[in-house]
Amino acid sequence: MFLAHTANSRRWALVTGAVVTAGALLTGCSGGDTSSSASGSSDTINYALPANFTPNWILPIGTAAHLNTNNSSISQSLWEPLIAYDGSTGKVGWNKDNSLATAADFAKDSKSVTITLGERHWSDGKQITSRDVEFWFNLVKANKADWASYSPGKAPDNWTSLKIVDDTHFTITFDQAYNQQWMLANELSMIRPMPQHVWDKTSDSGTVSDLDRTTAGAKKVWTYLNGVAKKISGYATDPLWKTVSGPYTIKSFSTAGKVELTANAKYDGGGKANIKNVNLLPFTTTDAEKNALRAGTVDYGYINATDLSQESSFASKGYTVKPWSGWAITYMPYNFNNPAMGAVFKQLYARQAIQMSVDQTTLSKVVFNGTAVSTYGPIPQGQTSSFVSSEQKNNPYPYSTTKAKKLLTSHGWTEQNGTMVCTSPGTGDSQCGAGVDKGTKFRMQVLSQSGSTVTDNMMSALQSSFAKTGIDFTIKTAPVNSVLSQAGQCTADQAGCKWQLSFFGTAGSWYFPAYPSGDSLFATGGGSNFGSYSNSAVDKLITQTTTSSSNEAVQKYSAALAKDLPVIWLPEPDYQVSVVKNGLGGFAQDSLANFHPAMWKWTTK
Amino acid sequence: MSAVIQPGQAPGTTTATAIATGAVSGSRLAVRRFLRNRLAVVGLGVVVFFFLFCFLGPLVYSTDQTHTMLQQVNLGPSGSHWLGTDAVGHDELGRLMYGGKVSLIVGLAAGILATVIGTLWGAAAGYAGGWIDAVMMRIVDAGIAIPALFILLVVSAITTPGLTGLIVILGFVSWLVPSRLIRAETLTLKNRDYVLTLRAIGGTHSRAITRHILPNSVSTIIVATTFQIADAILLVAYVSYLGLGVQPPATDWGGMLSAGLTAAYSGYWWLILPPGLAIILVVWAFNAIGDGLRDAFDVRGRG
Repeated sequence: MFLAHTANSRRWALVTGAVVTAGALLTGCSGGDTSSSASGSSDTINYALPANFTPNWILPIGTAAHLNTNNSSISQSLWEPLIAYDGSTGKVGWNKDNSLATAADFAKDSKSVTITLGERHWSDGKQITSRDVEFWFNLVKANKADWASYSPGKAPDNWTSLKIVDDTHFTITFDQAYNQQWMLANELSMIRPMPQHVWDKTSDSGTVSDLDRTTAGAKKVWTYLNGVAKKISGYATDPLWKTVSGPYTIKSFSTAGKVELTANAKYDGGGKANIKNVNLLPFTTTDAEKNALRAGTVDYGYINATDLSQESSFASKGYTVKPWSGWAITYMPYNFNNPAMGAVFKQLYARQAIQMSVDQTTLSKVVFNGTAVSTYGPIPQGQTSSFVSSEQKNNPYPYSTTKAKKLLTSHGWTEQNGTMVCTSPGTGDSQCGAGVDKGTKFRMQVLSQSGSTVTDNMMSALQSSFAKTGIDFTIKTAPVNSVLSQAGQCTADQAGCKWQLSFFGTAGSWYFPAYPSGDSLFATGGGSNFGSYSNSAVDKLITQTTTSSSNEAVQKYSAALAKDLPVIWLPEPDYQVSVVKNGLGGFAQDSLANFHPAMWKWTTK
Repeated sequence: MSAVIQPGQAPGTTTATAIATGAVSGSRLAVRRFLRNRLAVVGLGVVVFFFLFCFLGPLVYSTDQTHTMLQQVNLGPSGSHWLGTDAVGHDELGRLMYGGKVSLIVGLAAGILATVIGTLWGAAAGYAGGWIDAVMMRIVDAGIAIPALFILLVVSAITTPGLTGLIVILGFVSWLVPSRLIRAETLTLKNRDYVLTLRAIGGTHSRAITRHILPNSVSTIIVATTFQIADAILLVAYVSYLGLGVQPPATDWGGMLSAGLTAAYSGYWWLILPPGLAIILVVWAFNAIGDGLRDAFDVRGRG
């Protein structure tokens, strides 16, 4: 009995297919030059959503399961925020054109703020009033645990009351004095007035009343709204979503991810839509999106940083490549509680040696093709800001594997077969430090995101430079969700504390709100302080960043963490390398990672 | 072939010698038939070449595949780097040897493992017959109905295995087809006179399988193994493409191809063509060897 020829035919077909595929890839799918919009119409634009993302939430109160900046961008196009604090104008600040409020007057003691609303109307003609703000406030207060932006002690916990003065004025009182910029940028900017006269009910056929003014009523209203918001198929048809305050309304909303927005004809704000129809297109992979760009079916898309060498190819098709930098930092957390390496990570000199082995300048230039910025502390450095300290700006630990090696050998470590080994344990100045046993090898493993060529290349480069210092660095990869689930906060006695370093990938950068306080990242017990970093002096500085009246507190915090190295600081890659059709203008790419379709306009058609 | 009885020689000895001589002649015939198949010989040459290239090549063409060299990334072929460099500065020719070791080792080991599992399963099912055969083969049918790629995607979402783990996973998703082949072979062999005689004189089932059925299926097993190795090498390429492959700084041809494809439109052909061609050639070569062995063992074609 011998193998059937059909099996062989399949194999030959496979091999032939591989050759044909490789050929097609090498030759490329050439397309003709085009300089018109993908739709061929001046009142339409096709925007590419991030790969593997499908929009699934529009309600102005976001839940954790639907937390995504793209959902937020779509929602804000429908219901404008009270205070749009973003980077849509090219600089992070209050964009009054896209805000319902026109002024925010803080009390002298910084314990309250009185906000003035503009003379604005819902799409059904009713005026937008303080009552609509109160409606949002009451729902969030009563259902804060469901609100994705909730952090204990912060809004709405620190907002003690909201008092309506009149239809266009209201006052919010705080539990203590706060830094005004922080309050404006990080807390008040989250308020999203909602149409109380339409939504304050508990069923489709229910009567609208003041249900939200009791906690029980607010819970019922939230249950109803939350339930309706889960029905994506109803976004374009349910009358509930027809009353909007933003520049757009929904024309269609596919469960497969395609969203069509059309201009709100009744919009009376300052951020009117310039392009009538906006098509938001989903893609399963970056390659699929890139092919759509090549085919000219996308007006505003993106490519990988590794594809920057193809800039001329896109230019010949009528596109311009525009890197989009983000207000973010990228880092690799240490697990200070890891049983094997936690004691080593707790030694500042060890963290200094590790940081000195990271050549951020070359990584940014080579691995990221120049689309990343060296970052030496907790404040984003891709944009000019008054928050960055001189210590962080000037990199306290410049790249030098020679100095890094010397630092280790001067602290009781000896290189054996290429790896540093602790040969002088103890707590003296020239010894390994508390908890580091004799014979401990400087051997650490990172649990890193898989499936990204850029991440793989960066890890290989880090492995190489760590080896020069005598640090044995091994790489274990897993899908990003797996990394997230495995690299959580833990104690040394827990089974899940085996991870030593983690990296969520270049798409896993930490994006800050406008005011970059690091309370959840680096404060003791912070919700996103994955490695359990703890430093009481830093905790005090973090508290001051939100309560002090000046930015000096943030600078001190920046300097302290640049020197104390709670994590391995890494280059911050651009949020996206955008590819934009020539003739599309009128906007700046928001460093807070939101998109603002109303600002887009065709300048030449 | 007829036996020649020499003077003074015991008849039994003569018969044994004659059978032995006949067996040698059969092997020689098979070798001759294999060598007459030009594609199979070329395939064998290609496999030998790649083994020498990957395992002895680094002794002749020594490169650093551990440290990155970010000052010389994506360089085209030159006198100092015959096949250029990759995105982190590794010499591409050296990396082809380095990655080839992994592809060949994993491919061979996974292919052999799949054949061993499939052989044992198929032989047991075919020999037992009845409801045991029915149950065992329905399990195989169910396994074949689930695409290997789907299983690999699920595994890659859960974990990233090491080299041994990779071999085991690939072996366990590839044994189904060989099990069917061996079962079919067993069904015909178990009713042969010599097996029935063995059972009649009290021989055990395991003796029947290990002494008669498996040895007489060896040609099928060998041919199946070559195809399994070819398939396993392709699967290694697939899983590396999915991010399930070996961890840096190690690599394999599939991983190299995956990394190179991101530069497909950048004109860095040296990152794509060499690993792509290596995969195609080795897979083709094992298939050609399999075809050659099949023809060599095929009794019906003997003249």
